[in-house]
Amino acid sequence: MSGQKKEFPITWGMVIDIDKCTGCGACMASCQTENNVEPQRDASNKLRSTSWMTVYELTNGKSYPDHDIAYLPRPCQQCGNPPCVSVCPVIATEKNENGGIVSQVYPRCIGCRYCVAACPYHVRYFGWFDPVWPEGMEKTLSPLTSVRPRGVVEKCSFCHHRWTLAKDAARAAGKDPEDLADGAYVTSCVQNCPSGALAFGDLKNPKHKVHELIKSPYAYRLLERLGTDTQVYYISRREWVRKLGDNYLKSE
Amino acid sequence: MGLDRRAFLGLVAGGAVGTMFTPIPWKLIDDAAIWTQNWSWIPKVPKGQIDYVATTSKLCPASEGLKIMRVAGNPVSAAGNPDHPLSRGGVSALARSEVYMLYSPARIKSPMKRNGKTFAPITWEQALIEMSEKLGAAKGSVASISGDATGTVNEVLTALVGKLGSAGAFMMPGEATSAAKALKLMGAQGQAGYDFENADTVLVLGADIFETWGTSTRNRKAFGATRPAGAKPASNYIYVGPTRNNTAAVCDQWIPAAAAELGVVAMGIAWHLLKAGATSNAPGFDTFKAVVNGGFGPEDVKRATGIGGDVLAGIAKSLMASKAALVVTGSPFGQGMGAAPVIAGMSLNMLLGRINKPGGVYMLPELASVVPGALSRAAMLDGDLPAFLKGVASDKTPAPKALLVYDANPAYGLPEAATMAKALEKIPFKVSFSSFMDETAALCDLVLPNSLPLERYDDVATPYGSGFCVYSLVRPIQKPIYDTKTSADVLLALARKLSIDLKFDNFQQVLKEKVASLSKASGGFVAKDVMPWQVAAGKPAPALVGGDLWKALEAGYAWTMVGQVAQTGMGFAAEVVAKAAKAGKPAAGATLAPYAQLRTGTPATGIPCQDLTTVPDTELLGENTLVRLNSETAKTLGLKKGQMVKLSAAGVDCQAKVHIFESVMTGMVSAPLGFGHTAFDYFSQGKGANYLSLMAVAEEPGSGMSMWIASEVKIA
Repeated sequence: MSGQKKEFPITWGMVIDIDKCTGCGACMASCQTENNVEPQRDASNKLRSTSWMTVYELTNGKSYPDHDIAYLPRPCQQCGNPPCVSVCPVIATEKNENGGIVSQVYPRCIGCRYCVAACPYHVRYFGWFDPVWPEGMEKTLSPLTSVRPRGVVEKCSFCHHRWTLAKDAARAAGKDPEDLADGAYVTSCVQNCPSGALAFGDLKNPKHKVHELIKSPYAYRLLERLGTDTQVYYISRREWVRKLGDNYLKSE
Repeated sequence: MGLDRRAFLGLVAGGAVGTMFTPIPWKLIDDAAIWTQNWSWIPKVPKGQIDYVATTSKLCPASEGLKIMRVAGNPVSAAGNPDHPLSRGGVSALARSEVYMLYSPARIKSPMKRNGKTFAPITWEQALIEMSEKLGAAKGSVASISGDATGTVNEVLTALVGKLGSAGAFMMPGEATSAAKALKLMGAQGQAGYDFENADTVLVLGADIFETWGTSTRNRKAFGATRPAGAKPASNYIYVGPTRNNTAAVCDQWIPAAAAELGVVAMGIAWHLLKAGATSNAPGFDTFKAVVNGGFGPEDVKRATGIGGDVLAGIAKSLMASKAALVVTGSPFGQGMGAAPVIAGMSLNMLLGRINKPGGVYMLPELASVVPGALSRAAMLDGDLPAFLKGVASDKTPAPKALLVYDANPAYGLPEAATMAKALEKIPFKVSFSSFMDETAALCDLVLPNSLPLERYDDVATPYGSGFCVYSLVRPIQKPIYDTKTSADVLLALARKLSIDLKFDNFQQVLKEKVASLSKASGGFVAKDVMPWQVAAGKPAPALVGGDLWKALEAGYAWTMVGQVAQTGMGFAAEVVAKAAKAGKPAAGATLAPYAQLRTGTPATGIPCQDLTTVPDTELLGENTLVRLNSETAKTLGLKKGQMVKLSAAGVDCQAKVHIFESVMTGMVSAPLGFGHTAFDYFSQGKGANYLSLMAVAEEPGSGMSMWIASEVKIA
């Protein structure tokens, strides 16, 4: 771990209710298009494809008919102690800005992939190929996110550009950009989820719904025992889901 | 002056330390990283004014309202419209693709005419001349197939075909087809609408309500609203079906049952309801009671389905104890279900007194037609396309002389694909009004590309499953990118050329008339501050400001109405269920249990390019699709994880890779649909197999309609 935990007055976080997620992939599709991830013709090759948000299928490991499944959407966990930061030789990834979002500076990244190896959540993607859009489709690129060339590592940024837009909108309305109302800034996956399984807000702001949600007895974080202090919380009433989230061994 | 070893090492070490502290290497690395990323072929993001406009999704059957983000007038991305009652801010992976499909490599860029095995571009004028000649000669024997279940375009299409002498005007089969047949047999009026928002206990028999059944985005929003995160749910959802699919994954209970036995399960629950004193004044109740007591007791149902009487008694108890119970019946893969299971499921709603009640099933009126001579939706749903094409293939039904295919892909999206393709080959003149080069377009003589929803005026009227009447507008937010036209406009131009009077010159006029007719409907209102389910629950409906309706629709709001058709003779139709709901023989090999997902598109869209990444490698790996079996089934069949197998049925073979997945009933092979395209682009083509082609069509006893809910497959 980095051993350089920093506290931020605003700490953006996500709460994902696993008991509501149907695994439809709308969050993944939203993320792809919002963040200019290219359409990949060989996307079934998960070792080479890019998807900042991935939905994993969890199972309780039992046989039919006692088998149970759940879906786990996984964005960047935006660790409080990010393992990716301490291993980056060129400081292309950092956690030094307000909001507690782990940044990734593409032009500075030299593609060494130490961060990919260090991340226990597999949220970092190395671009193996030049991004190519079918002819004409480059007109659908979002102007708010840069296009990454091959050879750099990329990841979920909590749609950071939307925060900038929300702050601008607050300033224009004469409001305090450092005290955004709940819902004024949400990520694309949260906005479009048809099940309402995803919530987003400032974990430290009592006026934001997520502030209360993370206190739920059913809330947990992935691999919590690693001490990464992530800013993505999950909620499930199912005990096996919660245990799986922290990689409990069968003997525990 | 000599340099000894010690001095040399000191120099090297000093140099290394010095290098560490000078910024030069770091600066060089930084510069090199920037230089190596600044290639001319990396697309630059567009610049310009950002704005948002509203429309409705036509590609997604859930019919969500959309907010489209534009940059300098070009659409860039689609999000859910929070002001639309079928979206409430949510969007499916398919609706999200509306923008990207504009540039799909599979798009047809101009009208084309078959020239041997290939196509040659022609002008729209040439296409109209060709069509008017061929259709004029085919008068009296022109058929149509529509894949658009909600559009007023069907009025234009069926009126034209009717005036040319219709050999049949068909809709692609889906959930609405089975439901319409069931309601007709029950003597009911209207379209079944399910009020999820006000329901507290929902029994789902087969229908994948959170993925492909009906207004799935709205269904999920309604579900989510009663499930506060981490707190006790305010609703109870029970799913009965062959797999723990996307819907069952979040339901409170999954009860495994074969898709072919869902009617038996419903009748088994009815037995417990009747035992507890449920009764009804509806016609046919006595027969229904006799049928239930005669063959659907706990032992009968257990023998047929394997479900114990205590389980069904528990469901019956939950339904009776709840304030607003709702029973929804549908096919786990969105088609092929006969009428009997829907009748059996609807019978439960009748026993529970849930017809035309908040949180129950509303019998919704059909919106008034505006094109003279058009078929009603109910009449279109009454057609049996698989039976018609099977008849044509076997020469029992004369092949029509001409066929117009609108936004449909029967060569891929119907069961027994080989039989259907044979039937299509027998039709001498075929025209496809498709936006993409799909499997059916590839078989046609003329291909007349339809503009995509973001390039045309269109509409969505009460999609199947919606608990209320709803109408929303689709409007062009950019000019057509290629030489495409709105098919409804082409059909109206064709009518003029054939001297057929359809009353309208262009489709926008038709839509304006449709909207004007809504202004006259009593009880209709624009859903803004008050939503239709709130009105159903007792809140007063706001007044409709008539003159502004078109403007409100263009702004992305929906016209809604909480209406119901008065039922004079809705009965149980138990005699149909008695004939159809019988235990099937156990399969010698395995039973196919397909599932469909919106992320793999529809037969008319193929797999949207951006959605391919969302498909997990437990469904598609390389060029192979995976089928799911539990370990017991795999052991019985001698199959191992990852093994390549051949699935055979209906005279067709399909390749598959074995995936061991325990949330599948024993004896079932769960197979993903949406793959195995031979047409479209490289995002769809050659990826996996089309398992729908393995499904054999049979006639349902009692109703006589085509069904293909379950097929036995051999695995080798």
